[in-house]
Amino acid sequence: MNLDWLDAFLISGLFSVVIIIGLGLLLHLQLGLARIANFGVVGFFGIGMYAFGVMFVKVDWPFSEVWAFFISLAFGTLVAGLSGLLVGWLIADLDEDGVLVGTLGFATAVLILATTEQDLTGGALGLGGLKFPYDIGSVKANEFLWLIIVTTVVALILLYVGRVHRSPYGRLLIAVGANEPLARSLGKPAFRTKLWLFAVGSAGMGLLGALFGVMVRFLDISNLGIDVTLAAMVALVLGGTARVWGAVIGGFLTIGLFEIVVQSYIPFPQGWYGQAIPVVRQMVFGATLIVVLLFRPLGILGDMRRDKLMRSMHGG
Amino acid sequence: MLDFISDSLVIGLTEHAPLVLASIGFALLYRLTGLINVAYSETVTLGAYFGMWINTSFGFNFYATLIPAGLIAGLLSVGTYFAVFRPAKKLNVGALEMIIISFGLSIFLRHGLQFIWGYPVRFYDVPPPDTFRILGTGVSSFRLLALISVGVLALILYWFIQRSSFGLRIRALASDEDLAQASGIRPLFVTVLIWFIAGVAGGLAGAFYGVGSSVAPLLGWRQFLFILLVVLVGGSRGLGGVIITGIATGVALAAMSLQFGQVLYAQLALITAFVVILKWRSRRVAETAKV
Repeated sequence: MNLDWLDAFLISGLFSVVIIIGLGLLLHLQLGLARIANFGVVGFFGIGMYAFGVMFVKVDWPFSEVWAFFISLAFGTLVAGLSGLLVGWLIADLDEDGVLVGTLGFATAVLILATTEQDLTGGALGLGGLKFPYDIGSVKANEFLWLIIVTTVVALILLYVGRVHRSPYGRLLIAVGANEPLARSLGKPAFRTKLWLFAVGSAGMGLLGALFGVMVRFLDISNLGIDVTLAAMVALVLGGTARVWGAVIGGFLTIGLFEIVVQSYIPFPQGWYGQAIPVVRQMVFGATLIVVLLFRPLGILGDMRRDKLMRSMHGG
Repeated sequence: MLDFISDSLVIGLTEHAPLVLASIGFALLYRLTGLINVAYSETVTLGAYFGMWINTSFGFNFYATLIPAGLIAGLLSVGTYFAVFRPAKKLNVGALEMIIISFGLSIFLRHGLQFIWGYPVRFYDVPPPDTFRILGTGVSSFRLLALISVGVLALILYWFIQRSSFGLRIRALASDEDLAQASGIRPLFVTVLIWFIAGVAGGLAGAFYGVGSSVAPLLGWRQFLFILLVVLVGGSRGLGGVIITGIATGVALAAMSLQFGQVLYAQLALITAFVVILKWRSRRVAETAKV
């Protein structure tokens, strides 16, 4: 396949955008509908990534690499889902403060374990040996195909989120987010709903972490910083917390701007790309969260929502 | 066994004393506003950076840097109140959105500090300390002085809040803003005072953290979870509870670090324990509510 027309930076930039959109979509179910601010997105992303990586690299599989790959992928997703179940149980009846502690604590715990369990994770040195489950020629071709596969996965997540919006389960999430005691008094299983939401959302985040690990092919603890949570949150908040397409629009406007437009199309001095631009990017993301939530709490797509309940929930 | 206990006590108290100071400042804000201000972690970082900058640029000794470091952190804290949190309150922003806003502010300030002072880890320029033996454990003169300073500052803050007339106003405002206002208390003045005191406490804690190890953009953020846990778990018993929980946390961290030989495992165990305490407490409240 001739891919000379395709810039390698564009592939990695688009990949970052797609991954953050996926995380933003899953966060939308938690934050946008059920009003649970998950500050531990990177924890679930990271545990899926490392569980997959350790299983794939460290286990001596008796069968073909492709099977090993898919079993490891399922394992990473399952571990993240079970972690979500545990964290969900811990925080389901806590207030916003408790949710912040629980989710942030979980992300910190994952970072600590990835750092200390050197025999498994490689610690600060990292874990190599990950690869694509296919080889169609050049590195660029493999990466391009992986981008298409991951985009398909994220499109399926978008489809799932869209269906949730229109389903009784989605309305239950909105009811629990708007007034949990009332939902309970009407006989709605609020606790179980939150558990299921956290388990499924976390499994999805873990799957995206594993898919990300395949692309970077080397896992290290710098991937477990709060930046991942910030990126997903800022994309969702900017696009519109209450809207299905919010994370998609926000993802392109935030990560897309910096990872594609700034990285590939604006000729800044070479030295800026190392430290200055990433630092400015984070400052812009932080400022975006503040400005949007102060002056347009429903984000760019917010006003198009016709649901009064959702508007009142999000301060619109 | 006795050695282990004395080592844990001495190391825990001397190494983690700034945690108590930072927690008092955070608890003040939390009690008055009900806000989990994630950006508080950056007042801690600013205190460390500003103290280090004055120390290395103008040759001030560490104790002389404490006053400007505390003041600048206090001013930053007040600045964030006027620039972000006051407008947010006027716009009736919800509790959940407030936390996210403070998270955004934290990211903005942290990277702003990094933009100003650069990415590399920085150090205070202080003379090598003497070593004393307390209960058989070696402690540097510097950590000992830090412990004493933190202890004195914490007591002053405690006295100020619990015993002084200003403290009474602060507590009145925290309990019932409308009633406090009707009683002649000026809410804006008292609120600004609280944000300033909280910032000073955070900045001083940051300076002690920074001089004890190094100064880096993530300094405050790395302590934030523990500050938050100390305040949420100990805060239900007032400032005294925060101080006792802060001390107990420091000693527990030291003891578990000695036991596991790895400070990160100690942190992991403590985070788990605190979250379980919060969960158990919430269940107890839920059970009471059922009756």
